[in-house]
Amino acid sequence: MRVDWLSLSQFRSYQSLEWAPDPGVNVLVGRNATGKTNVLEAIGYLAGLKSFRSVPDSELIADDAGAAVIRAAVSGEDRERLIEIQLNRSGPRQVQVDKNRLRRSTEMLGVLRVVAFLSDDLDLVKRGPSYRRDLLDEIAVQFWPAAHLDQAEFERSLRQRNAFLKSGDRDQTTLSVWDSRLAQAGGRVLARRAKATGLLAPLLAVAYGEISSDGLEAALGYRATWGDGTLGNRTAGDYADDLAQALEASRQADLDRRLTTVGPHRDEPGFRLNHSEARTHASQGEQRSIALAVKIASHRAIGDLYGESPILLLDDVFSELDAGRSEALAASLPEDTQTIITSARPEDVPLTGLQWTVGDGISR
Amino acid sequence: MFEGPVQRLIDELARLPGIGQKSAQRLAFHLLLVEEADARRLAAAIGDMRDQISLCERCFNVAAADECSICLDGRRDQSMVCVVERPQDIIVVERTQEYRGRYHVLGGALSPINGIGPGQLRFEELKSRLEPEGIAELIVATNPTIEGDATAMYMAREFKPLGVRVSRLASGLPVGGDLDYADELTIGRALIGRTEL
Ligand SMILES: [Zn+2]
Repeated sequence: MRVDWLSLSQFRSYQSLEWAPDPGVNVLVGRNATGKTNVLEAIGYLAGLKSFRSVPDSELIADDAGAAVIRAAVSGEDRERLIEIQLNRSGPRQVQVDKNRLRRSTEMLGVLRVVAFLSDDLDLVKRGPSYRRDLLDEIAVQFWPAAHLDQAEFERSLRQRNAFLKSGDRDQTTLSVWDSRLAQAGGRVLARRAKATGLLAPLLAVAYGEISSDGLEAALGYRATWGDGTLGNRTAGDYADDLAQALEASRQADLDRRLTTVGPHRDEPGFRLNHSEARTHASQGEQRSIALAVKIASHRAIGDLYGESPILLLDDVFSELDAGRSEALAASLPEDTQTIITSARPEDVPLTGLQWTVGDGISR
Repeated sequence: MFEGPVQRLIDELARLPGIGQKSAQRLAFHLLLVEEADARRLAAAIGDMRDQISLCERCFNVAAADECSICLDGRRDQSMVCVVERPQDIIVVERTQEYRGRYHVLGGALSPINGIGPGQLRFEELKSRLEPEGIAELIVATNPTIEGDATAMYMAREFKPLGVRVSRLASGLPVGGDLDYADELTIGRALIGRTEL
């Protein structure tokens, strides 16, 4: 997959920008971080319909402008497509593919696939379990687009059950209905997480070995808040049964705390290094290697599944790596992949590619 | 802010579903500029609807008399009741020509987020219809949303112990969609292929 041409209008700092990136490696160089990252952010938005900086759409629109427009010609799956997105300050965004207006954001899945390496990826390893739950859920959506619906259904059911618990209403039939609804949706979310973990874990171990020469073994584990505490690899129906039992068992506690205390939203996926928890026991360098390995593993897993390599975005990643890890990362990136790298210092980037200077526009 | 009467109309229009401030302004100024008779006809239509139409005392469909035309139709199968969220859902089911029973409008779906529990929906009114009308089957045609599904599930748990059959329109409806948007063919098929809850 690749972006052949990109045009931004009133997007962040750009009044207008046009860029035809190389199908190979592109290195974007500029004085400060913002402008370069905005270009990656726009490409990321085309793929995922949200900013990888986790900000609302309104922040992507240039000050004083009513709307921002991202347009791109992309190639993938043996065809070319024109993606056009208009973000509106008031009112919903509009997304068109080949001039056809999309009615659901899920229709966009698969049109463009990217894997982004970000400077705060370390959070995936270092911070709380929600980062790793999101990671698994996002990978699940890349693998199986319908996972998006399951996740949305689970989130909504959870909000409804929590709203019921907070309302002070104690009607057992109503609560049992929300229990069933939550267990069904949760079962499907868990089945996807189990499969995503199964696909990712072996690739993670291999990638960690490439990045780091310490001989340690990286693994991806999952501690559940229900059942016997393990995820295993079972069917959505089995998980739903387990969840339904766990919800019933915690019913009184949930009523007391006015909150759903068990379920996929409280589970703890975690990275391990030689069987000890990486979050608490690994060094900063080891954690960084795990974060890189996760992204490499994701990229390979998605590429294997679709027979087509996703676009790689690397936002100011090399500056934070020591020379050894930089070289190892560069060596483990695939060659036949469109790669877009931002860097304040091009000498930090151990890859050869086209170098672009980013200011008000992009030029060679 | 505009002249008092104009702003008052804008505020009223903006309270309508799907109408924002901007649209409300556009509509208000449109009504100011069209022929006076056209504007007055709209005002009269709203007044007439409120004067002449009320909710059916039996099923809570819209009605021009105490009961709606469906409830008053003697050829309808009284033993069968199709349960919907809103009056406009009845029209969608009617258009399929597949259904010859009566209806019951709940007035929404369970949604604790919006403060809607069983007490806010017309379940008690439905229960009081069961015996006098000899109702044997409820077909739940709530929207295919999480809330609509939960409502159907709730009804199965509440009404089956009372000795009525409770079924749900078979899937085939778009997930997350309103009944409004499902095409008639899909609903027709869903009616035939309903599943027992
Ligand atoms: Zn009626």
